[in-house]
Amino acid sequence: VPDIFEISVTALRAFQTALSVTSNNIANANTPGYARERIDLTAAPPQADGAASVGSGVVVTAISRAYSQATVDQLNSSQGALGQLNSLQNYTNQIDNLFGTTVGGVSTALQGFYNAWSDVANNPTSTASRQALLGKAQSLSASFQNTSAQLNALNADVNARIGADVTQINTIATSIAKLNQQIVVAKGQDGGFPPNELLDQRDTLVSNLSQLVGVTTSTDSNGALNVFVGNGQPLVLQAVTTALTTVPNSFNSAQLEVSSAALNGNVISGSLNSGDLGGLLAARGHAIDPAINQLGQIATALSGAVNAQQNAGLNLNGQLGGNLYSIAAPAAVASSKNTGTAAATVNVIDTGALTSSDYLLSFKAGAYALTRVGDGANVPLTGSGSAANPFVAVGLSIVLTGASANGDQILIRPTAGAAATFKTVLVDPSQLAAAGAVQSTTAGTNTGSATIGVASVLDATNPNLLVPTSIQFTSPTTYSINGAGSFAYAAGSNISLNGWQVQISGVPATGDSFSVKTNAGSAGDNRNALLFSNQRSLGVLAGGTVSIGGAVGALLTGAGSLAQQVNTAQTAQAAINSQAQQNFQSVSGVNLDEEAASLLQWQNAYQASAKALQIGSTLFQTLLTAVHG
Amino acid sequence: MIMRVTQSLNQSQFLTALNQIESRLSQTQNQITTNLNFTTAAQNPVAAGLVNNYNQTLTQSTQYDTNGNSAHTNLAIEDSALSQVQTQLQSLRDLALQANNGSLSPDARSAIAAQVVQIQSGILAAANTQNGSGEYIFAGNATLSSPFVATASGAAYTGDQGQREVQIAAGQSVATGDNGDSVFNRIKTGNGTFAATAGISNGGTGIFGATSVTDPAGYDGGTYAINFTAPNSYEVRDSNNLLISSGTFSSGQSIGFRGIQLTLNGQPASGDSFSVAPSANQSVFATVQNLVSALQNALGTPAAQALLNNSIGYAINNIDQALNQISNVRSAVGGRLNSITAEQSLSGSQQIQLQQSISNLQSLDYAKAITTLTEQNTTLSASMQAYALTKGLTLFKYL
Repeated sequence: VPDIFEISVTALRAFQTALSVTSNNIANANTPGYARERIDLTAAPPQADGAASVGSGVVVTAISRAYSQATVDQLNSSQGALGQLNSLQNYTNQIDNLFGTTVGGVSTALQGFYNAWSDVANNPTSTASRQALLGKAQSLSASFQNTSAQLNALNADVNARIGADVTQINTIATSIAKLNQQIVVAKGQDGGFPPNELLDQRDTLVSNLSQLVGVTTSTDSNGALNVFVGNGQPLVLQAVTTALTTVPNSFNSAQLEVSSAALNGNVISGSLNSGDLGGLLAARGHAIDPAINQLGQIATALSGAVNAQQNAGLNLNGQLGGNLYSIAAPAAVASSKNTGTAAATVNVIDTGALTSSDYLLSFKAGAYALTRVGDGANVPLTGSGSAANPFVAVGLSIVLTGASANGDQILIRPTAGAAATFKTVLVDPSQLAAAGAVQSTTAGTNTGSATIGVASVLDATNPNLLVPTSIQFTSPTTYSINGAGSFAYAAGSNISLNGWQVQISGVPATGDSFSVKTNAGSAGDNRNALLFSNQRSLGVLAGGTVSIGGAVGALLTGAGSLAQQVNTAQTAQAAINSQAQQNFQSVSGVNLDEEAASLLQWQNAYQASAKALQIGSTLFQTLLTAVHG
Repeated sequence: MIMRVTQSLNQSQFLTALNQIESRLSQTQNQITTNLNFTTAAQNPVAAGLVNNYNQTLTQSTQYDTNGNSAHTNLAIEDSALSQVQTQLQSLRDLALQANNGSLSPDARSAIAAQVVQIQSGILAAANTQNGSGEYIFAGNATLSSPFVATASGAAYTGDQGQREVQIAAGQSVATGDNGDSVFNRIKTGNGTFAATAGISNGGTGIFGATSVTDPAGYDGGTYAINFTAPNSYEVRDSNNLLISSGTFSSGQSIGFRGIQLTLNGQPASGDSFSVAPSANQSVFATVQNLVSALQNALGTPAAQALLNNSIGYAINNIDQALNQISNVRSAVGGRLNSITAEQSLSGSQQIQLQQSISNLQSLDYAKAITTLTEQNTTLSASMQAYALTKGLTLFKYL
């Protein structure tokens, strides 16, 4: 028969433990990842004592954690999403701040540049206005370079942080694997009693991990936790860690991608879309690279348009103008995994058809195909890829040398390097081509009323552009060119030759003559400068529908909208995360008032048990007195 | 189910809320200090794009004003040069009329010739006018060298036929000058349709009076000779020596053929010849030089006097043509000046409109911002107070 002493002693021990559990809860009220603990008490079974049976006190069956796997999973997944948005937001906001309201000064510099051409048009022979124009041209190219350099710095930052994140993920994974080992052992030793502190630690690590990279978990029957990233790529299985690794992008060795030790260099970056790491990859793919490419597209179009106009006019020395800007040709990089020897040389041939996308040229089953990076859309190619008949698509000409093996790929980035390499190459202000290339003249001896219009340049590359030409009327309705041929005259219609075009209108008399010749010597001519200042409103991008200034505005609005969108998503996710946090705390958090009440409860119980012991003792004394008495 | 709330959650939620309120407060503060609704595109992407576009249009419009001012300066210089030329041509015409008087002494005539030479160089100087940047305004586009160089027969033009334009509004350009070739060289001789001249070796005293075109469709632009077969009879022959018409003549009579008519005074001698040719281009300098040469010829016979009178008459015709030309160019210049002024006043109101639009989008509504600031301030102090009130609430206090 269990006596009152035995029963009271089990109670005293149990309540002492309970007080310890409560104190431990209070002590860990602010410990991150700590799940409050509860003592589980059971009445000890009675020992057989005839017909009546009395229990034998109280037993502590377990000290268990207040824990809900569903709540923890929800919190981890919301933390992953928030981590992704936080790191993405960091970059979209940096781009937004970098762009300000002028795309890093590009918009202002562009206005300055075209206004300076107007000033030169007002005063074509003034060295001062030409020098000022050259300064504006340089600030314009510098604004592109600076903005692009800052965007590239963001990419470098992304690379560094990918490396840091992967290191941290591996450290955490290793710790989880070690804890798995200890938990399995502890569970075995304690006969199934949960090792609460180890579980708390492991949960904290998984929570930290989920902020770095989205994870999914599963628990084995022995208590070990398996952790997976991306599309089920194992990170921790039981006590084994499969570390994540960083590998250089096969097309761009300066760009880090994420792989896994088990994957032999295969890249899993694409499937990582949660946590800080997911945010970094998203920032690079959706914010930074597109901004660099779009800026490059604008730079390419600007450089192309400005150089073409320079080449179509005469400089102060009476020569056709040379290029004002230079820009690197599009990058075409063969994958480091290619087994063939093929290399591509890519040039921009039509800035209107050019896009800001990257393209993948792949060789499969004996044929080349071009697909757009991002959505994988197929882009039709014309030509054969030879120097004589290059592939032509999206404003690019692609010439291949060497031989491709099946499965080889070449990444073409038409505009990625453009803004960074955008340079002013003209240094002498007299080399700015403000004058039109050709001039038309009416002979002083003409007696007819016909007049010749201003000669304009159609094709500045024509080698005979500046060769003098005379148009002589052999009758009021026919004319010869340089004394040869007989052409019918129609008043006001175009006469084109050697890359120029001119109109003669009115009634010519027989013997009247007109000439078109080089404009050299006419330093005061400003026709080309006027064409330059008109260029600002001219559509040169997107098939000739978008002006350069318009494209800069679109880039600004695009980056601003993205930042705004990410900000909104981040605010919403923060609210969701706060709710998940609240749910988790509601289940597992320590409420001090609750613990205070528990303290009182256990203290009272302890005092009552002590009283029972005292009464037991008194009863025993009574018995002793009676026996001795 | 009642949500269990824990002290640490309370704490962290309070801190998060505090951060949010303070960040919004700082944004409002930033708006007020910069007086801008947004400082980056993320705060209002659409407005930022619009403001960017408006700013582009605004700078362009301002540049158009600058262009207009520059054109205005050049045109004003041109107008003043042309007004000088006009004055000189007027004096020249007066001198020619004086010289036409038969009773003038040789000294007086050579004095007039000297004055004409003076005027010649005055017009030349005006034609070589430079603008503030040292460019020759009548050189077309070859503005770096002086366009007119004096020669024995007047002046040679070394400029080109270009005409500089500047843009003063979207799609509207205005010429900032006129080339010297079109202003001073391309002046039609005679009456603008044809020019009548007397043969140098004429022995009679036939002097041209008024010439006119009676039927513009009738004149074919050909060259004709009026030959006097006798002092009182003439015949008109074309360039192929075919007889066109003939008639008898007495002083003051009009001779008409092929849609044109000319009056001849005095008495031509038999064998005298007068020619009619289509008007050609002649520079104002050649006209003046011809007048000087005519004035320097010795007189003494009635025939020589008649030749002088004919030359002066021809010169006066040509001077009138030149005056007409200069006056036309001046009205064109005036028209351009007007359109610049009109365009600038238009662009002025456009700029105000644009600034208004930019301000509407970008400038801060102070009343609203201050209200927001006050609200945020209230929220901040209220949440601080709430925190202070609840943080002391613990059961332990009562144990």
